[in-house]
Amino acid sequence: MSIIFKDVHRYFGSKKVLTGVNMSVQPGEKLFVIGTSGVGKSVTIKHIIGLLKPTSGEVSVDGVRVDKVSEKELFTIRRKVAMVFQASALFDSLSLLENVMLPIRKHLKLKDAEVRKKAMALLDEVGMLKHAGLYPSEIGDGMRKRVAIARALSLDPAYVLFDEPTTGLDPVSARRVDSLISQLATERNAGCIIVSHDLVSIFSTATKIAMVYKGIIYKEGPIEDFHSSTDPVIRQFLSGSSSGPMETPGF
Amino acid sequence: MYNLIAKIGEGALNLCHETGGLLHLLFMVIKSLFPPRFDPGEFLRNLYKMGVKSVPIIILTAFFTGGIMVIQASVFVKRFGATSLVGWGAGYAVFREVGPILLGLMFSGRVGSNNTAELGTMVVTEQIDGLKALGIDPMQYLIVPRVLSMIIMLFLLTIIGDVIAIVGAALFGILIADVSFAAFWTSFSQNVHVADVVHGLIKAGVFGFIVSLTSCYAGMTVRGGAVGVGRAVNNAVVTAALGIVISDYFLTYSLS
Amino acid sequence: MTGKLYEMTANLGGFVTGIFAAALSLFSIAMRTFRGVFRFRGRAQGEVLKQMYLIGNRSLIFVTVTLGALGMVLVFQVCLQINKITGDQSQVGPEFIKGMIHAFVPILTAMMLATRVGAGIAAETGSMVVTEQIDALRMTGVDPVDFILVPRFIASVVMTFVLGVYAMVIVIVAGAFMAHSSFGVNYNVFFVFDKVTGGDLFIGSLKLIVHGGAIPIVAGYCGLTTGRGSEGVGNATTRAVINSSLAVIIIDFIISGVGLLTVQKI
Ligand SMILES: Nc1ncnc2c1ncn2[C@@H]1O[C@H](COP(=O)(O)OP(=O)(O)OP(=O)(O)O)[C@@H](O)[C@H]1O
Ligand SMILES: [Mg+2]
Repeated sequence: MSIIFKDVHRYFGSKKVLTGVNMSVQPGEKLFVIGTSGVGKSVTIKHIIGLLKPTSGEVSVDGVRVDKVSEKELFTIRRKVAMVFQASALFDSLSLLENVMLPIRKHLKLKDAEVRKKAMALLDEVGMLKHAGLYPSEIGDGMRKRVAIARALSLDPAYVLFDEPTTGLDPVSARRVDSLISQLATERNAGCIIVSHDLVSIFSTATKIAMVYKGIIYKEGPIEDFHSSTDPVIRQFLSGSSSGPMETPGF
Repeated sequence: MYNLIAKIGEGALNLCHETGGLLHLLFMVIKSLFPPRFDPGEFLRNLYKMGVKSVPIIILTAFFTGGIMVIQASVFVKRFGATSLVGWGAGYAVFREVGPILLGLMFSGRVGSNNTAELGTMVVTEQIDGLKALGIDPMQYLIVPRVLSMIIMLFLLTIIGDVIAIVGAALFGILIADVSFAAFWTSFSQNVHVADVVHGLIKAGVFGFIVSLTSCYAGMTVRGGAVGVGRAVNNAVVTAALGIVISDYFLTYSLS
Repeated sequence: MTGKLYEMTANLGGFVTGIFAAALSLFSIAMRTFRGVFRFRGRAQGEVLKQMYLIGNRSLIFVTVTLGALGMVLVFQVCLQINKITGDQSQVGPEFIKGMIHAFVPILTAMMLATRVGAGIAAETGSMVVTEQIDALRMTGVDPVDFILVPRFIASVVMTFVLGVYAMVIVIVAGAFMAHSSFGVNYNVFFVFDKVTGGDLFIGSLKLIVHGGAIPIVAGYCGLTTGRGSEGVGNATTRAVINSSLAVIIIDFIISGVGLLTVQKI
């Protein structure tokens, strides 16, 4: 039972974004994926739910080869693996409550009243119940993110992917998101993969870190390994220093 | 010289790419229809939204189109002193050609481009990926309901438009062109046949299909943020206009 | 009950003031454009030429295909109908040519350009709004209307006229081809221009010029009032297509009506 990347390459035309990614996540783990902007973190995790297919290599979820299955079979994977998008990706045309109700209604054979009840419980869990009738355009980024999390949890996923869940949030909201993630891992035994730049988040929450650099997982391991690392690239990233050996795309 | 050839080649490749994309979309839509697998709630919502939103614009367009047609007809007819032909001329032109084309273009501008903008925004804000991530097929949830609603709605709106255009023609015939209502009506009702109306409505159905397909395709293939959405809307209306006019040519031929 | 009534009145009030505000703002943009044209004195000649090239380049094939097809269709329908009644096709050419010049070509060309050019202008100015280029322009003390709309206005007036004349040639040739190939009408019977009066030429030209001016003003207004956020540019482009098309239809109706009562009066 795990998500596994085996030597994953992904090119966009002549641009080689991933050149041999290897990593894995077990249920209950909180893997933080770190790396500079534009290095390919979002690209990496989109492979897990088949939004992108690898140019070569293998991606599997609980033994199912995601890169091989048809679009139809992918939908069963996607019920098991939820994703919280970088900009939330709530549906503009639906109210917050309807956003959370949509996947429940589509996938669980429940009566309308039960769908509503379940959705409200989820919104309550992220503290958004009193805004349930509003539309995504009427609330701020932090609230949108919380609704997106509620929506992602609606089908009781075994794994949850977060793309920069705390970026753009105030510190208090950010810590709330951190504790939600921890709750998921401990109470529901969900495997979490979190793309993040937020060092506070990383060091308070992670059980494991994977650093993407130059198209590969430069280093993967528990927090202590990163704390004690003497590698200059890792030291530079964790200290946020502008001078050092690290190459940043776009600069 | 070399540049010119390269440019033509590039254009041709592009055209093939776009045509292929459209055909692929068409194939996917048809696949979702046999057996029908699409979201009924979305379908009803789109029927309502696309229909109701367009009624004012269709009425305005049809009313003035009727007016323009009766004026043009009377420029012609007055020189021959044959006012008895005005009702017929206006009705024939509106039902068979001018009505479906102008209403189709306006529908493309109102509903088609709105659809492209909406889908395009969903693409750039990752909402389409969001749907897929929730295990919901965008084809069944978004595209098929929209395609069906657009075909049905343009068809129904053209019926409304036909009626309004004739009212406009009769009214302006009386006001500007010195054609009495009785003369207009006699000429209209004796010479315009159900076949003319059917001819136009078949066209409306096909135009609705063209607008729906081109606008969905343009929306789903948006790239490059908000700026890309604007560009896509522009492409969508141009492709739809080309599609409408070219298919009109073939329809006119094959329906006659 | 009263609450609902109150809400409805408030909505209606909001709607009416909204329309007035929009009309006022559209009017202001139109006036600033006209003023800009008179102060123009060749300042941004390069820009005008560039815009003329862009409009022509974008629209030439589009206009050729659409108007060519429409020309053939219209002749086809007319001949079909005449065949049913008298069978005398000798008047088709002269009457068709006359009708095209004062009526069909101006409105159809303008409708096509409203989708092609109008949507383009709105997408472009809308993008400049969301990327804050318009704000940057204001910061340097340049009126965005002067900078963006005036060159496009001049280019559009000129090019709509040029493309309209070109479209007439296309439509008439395509029509003649159809009449000849499907109904056996001789070319020398079809190409007869003596039904065309000075009034027809005047009305046709006037329509082309006014349409050519209305499209960039309406589209520019839609683009400059683009809302923030990811759906802003798309909405602006949508509004531009529909509003400039509608403007064309209403303007065409007015000029046709006035023309019928004045220069085309028999
Ligand atoms: N669909 C695509 N087509 C072409 N290139 C793409 C595509 N998606 C991503 N890329 C490219 O892949 C690279 C990595 O993108 P990605 O979004 O994964 O970065 P990231 O690590 O998530 O950065 P950020 O922290 O800014 O989100 C970028 O250079 C991007 O331009
Ligand atoms: Mg990213």
